[in-house]
Amino acid sequence: MKWLWLCTALLAALAAAIVLGPASVPLSDLVHSPIVRELRVPRALLGLLVGGSLGLAGASLQSLVRNPLADPFLLGLSGGAGLGAVLAIALHLGGPWAIPLAAFAGALIALGLVFRLGLVGGAELDPRILLLGGVAVGAFCGAVMTAIVSLAEASELRNAYLWLWGGLSGASWDTLRVIALCLPIPVLVLLAAARPLDLLALGEEPARHLGADVRAVKRRVYLAASFLTAVSVAVAGVIGFVGLIVPHLGRALVGGRHLRLLPASFLAGGTLLVLADTLARTVVAPRELPVGIVTALVGVPLFAVLLRRWTAY
Amino acid sequence: MGRWAHRTHVAGRLAALLGVACHGAARQQAAGPLALSDDAGRQVRLAGPARRVVSLAPSITELLFAIGAGGQVVGRTVYDQYPPAALQVPAVGDGLNPSVEAIVARHPDLVLLYRSAHTDAAAQQLERLGVPTLVVRHDGLADIARTARLLGRATGQDSGGETVGRSIDSLLAQPLPPVRTRLAYVVWDSPPIVIGAGSFLDELARRAGAANVFHDITTPSATVSLETIVARDPDWIAVVRDSAGDTPPAWSRRPEWRAVRAVRDGRFLLLPADLFGQPSARASAAIATFLELLSHRPLTTGHQPP
Amino acid sequence: MDRVLILDVRDVTFRYPGVLRDTLRNVSLGVSSGELVALLGPNGSGKTTLVRVALGLQRPLTGSALVQGRTAAEWPRRELARVVGVVPQREDNLFPQQVRETVRLGRYPRLGAFGREREEDRVAVDRALERSDVAGLADRWLWTLSGGEYQRVRIARALAQEPQLLVLDEPTASLDVRHEMELFELVRRLVDQQGLAALLVTHDVNLASRFADRLLLLSDGNCVATGSPAEVLRREQAESVFGWPLAVSSFDNRPQITPLRRPT
Repeated sequence: MKWLWLCTALLAALAAAIVLGPASVPLSDLVHSPIVRELRVPRALLGLLVGGSLGLAGASLQSLVRNPLADPFLLGLSGGAGLGAVLAIALHLGGPWAIPLAAFAGALIALGLVFRLGLVGGAELDPRILLLGGVAVGAFCGAVMTAIVSLAEASELRNAYLWLWGGLSGASWDTLRVIALCLPIPVLVLLAAARPLDLLALGEEPARHLGADVRAVKRRVYLAASFLTAVSVAVAGVIGFVGLIVPHLGRALVGGRHLRLLPASFLAGGTLLVLADTLARTVVAPRELPVGIVTALVGVPLFAVLLRRWTAY
Repeated sequence: MGRWAHRTHVAGRLAALLGVACHGAARQQAAGPLALSDDAGRQVRLAGPARRVVSLAPSITELLFAIGAGGQVVGRTVYDQYPPAALQVPAVGDGLNPSVEAIVARHPDLVLLYRSAHTDAAAQQLERLGVPTLVVRHDGLADIARTARLLGRATGQDSGGETVGRSIDSLLAQPLPPVRTRLAYVVWDSPPIVIGAGSFLDELARRAGAANVFHDITTPSATVSLETIVARDPDWIAVVRDSAGDTPPAWSRRPEWRAVRAVRDGRFLLLPADLFGQPSARASAAIATFLELLSHRPLTTGHQPP
Repeated sequence: MDRVLILDVRDVTFRYPGVLRDTLRNVSLGVSSGELVALLGPNGSGKTTLVRVALGLQRPLTGSALVQGRTAAEWPRRELARVVGVVPQREDNLFPQQVRETVRLGRYPRLGAFGREREEDRVAVDRALERSDVAGLADRWLWTLSGGEYQRVRIARALAQEPQLLVLDEPTASLDVRHEMELFELVRRLVDQQGLAALLVTHDVNLASRFADRLLLLSDGNCVATGSPAEVLRREQAESVFGWPLAVSSFDNRPQITPLRRPT
């Protein structure tokens, strides 16, 4: 029953994203309009994939680091991506795909660094080390980025921060094809880790006694969730709050079992982002709000409601 | 005693009259405190016309040279590169986040800032150090005329300021030409940022007969959805760029931008930054450049048209 | 009853890396089906380490640790979880959960990554809930339970694994008299009626003496005594291990120690 609700909400959000927009496209023209075909449809689908990835990654990481306040961007990925993008601009790397590729590379490097930190001294991805390492790597990248931007003279660099604000404006069928290729494997890895994640929620020792290969599960979950986040950042910048709040929405809807929670987080994340993007495009038309602001504005009241439920426990 | 005093008095007044007569020449006026009010609504008193001026914005630097006060400029920002003579002036850093130390090291008797949130704080700091500051803001052409006159009074180049002011006034007094074409200025691609009515660029385009499709946006710039650009279907996309060259911007090759007709057809107006990067006294030259560009062939974008 | 030796630890010596002294020295331990063995000893005597070696979480430096005849450290963890149900000392459930949900986790060693839950799984969960006397709490949220109830739920989860051996690490550490007795009686019942093997690590010497079939007394990594409670809980032996003057009495035909007050 709840799944029906969730799917309906998603479909409604997608429909709204296609029908509504700052440019008025009459319903009769929808199918033929190039605005709808080339811009709105890819953008709505990208919102679904990016929002879904962030929701799924958030749910997995919150269970991995055993912290209900964990957000995919806590692990330093946004810093790495931002630094990659700024370097691409500063070095005048050519090509229309230079920035997303550089951002992706930067995110992967940050991922590797934090992973390596998490293994130092046999720590085996201790959640506290992951979180601290992520904050440290993120802060370091942010500092280098700020230094480059303030020292360099190119005026375009001053706009680099705008890219980081996040947005689905780069959506096209080409972008979608690339993302669609990158997603299936990490998503499957995470779904396969659903049962071990249930066990991990009890603690590492009990999970081990219940048959989970804790070491392998932690590594796989960390790498898959971070990869999904890196792909999202490369394409859409840093869209905050989705990865933080969607897992809790999912939990409120379908409960804590990860075989349900993970798919629900994907669907809920997609719905939230598509909805937020539609609002971002239409509320102050012809201007557009950064989608990260809308996700926060929509997410915070939702989060407050959820917090009441939590404290009611 | 009385007659001696009377004679000194008369002599003094004659000398003053002579001084006033010399005012007509394009030389600095001697002495005399000035009371000026700037664009932040502040009342600023100067002991006399400023002789050592630090300018913290490219448009201000350019204006200072345009009104004949170039020799009085002792500091500029790294971004101020026009006119070429300005490059001889030592740079004191980045105007957006001014380094008060570097400015004070130039021993200025006046610092000119472009009004924004950052500069308000710097202005206060300088005031506390006893350095007079004037905060100016010019988004449109009429503002430039006003600023030119203000700077003229502040530097003792009143006639220079008046000349520039009048040239812009006469430009503005001309009737608007009929709208022959429509354009959009694209400042950034991801997310798409366009120029609105609050900017001098909008005015320049209109005076060249090109209507800005985003004239309904009142701020100087704004983020818009790509589909809005597609829907408003400008004939031209105007881009201001630092470098020379006639290749269209890299983002024009991205698939989602191909939905914009002007991008597909390669109709780009590549505007040189020295004329179009900031509000300038050379507005008429800018408009002339505009007209010339509008008559050119569209550029190829390196892609096969769909 | 046919006794099957499930846990077979022989002469193990073990030292944690970077530590100077052996944590375990030539210790042997055996647990068979239908018997309850209690592991006793003061803090730091090596009880938890012995359990970890016995279950293959650490490899001993010398000696062997077998589970059902196979080296413990070589058992794949999921297979081992189908034979041994462990109730560790601490568990830290992050998110709110209901009793039935948490007991169901015990079925995971028998389900694959995506395996569907079968009728037999539901039955096993129900049976585990009943045997642990928590069937009436099945729909309650964990955070509403008392300490004793929560411990019985954790035992239910271990039972849902359908193990042959139950290992409990200090299960009554913070329980009151009633809940402590209930727990010991529960374990005894499971051993007697289901034929389970049970290894219980505890500080409660007296209850261990009354309920266990055999005791193993550890001191400083050495096995000081092993055998029936009467053989192990002799006054001088116990005094030297626990470092406190004791009086040994008898209750229920089992030795009970009473710590004496030190002369002032």
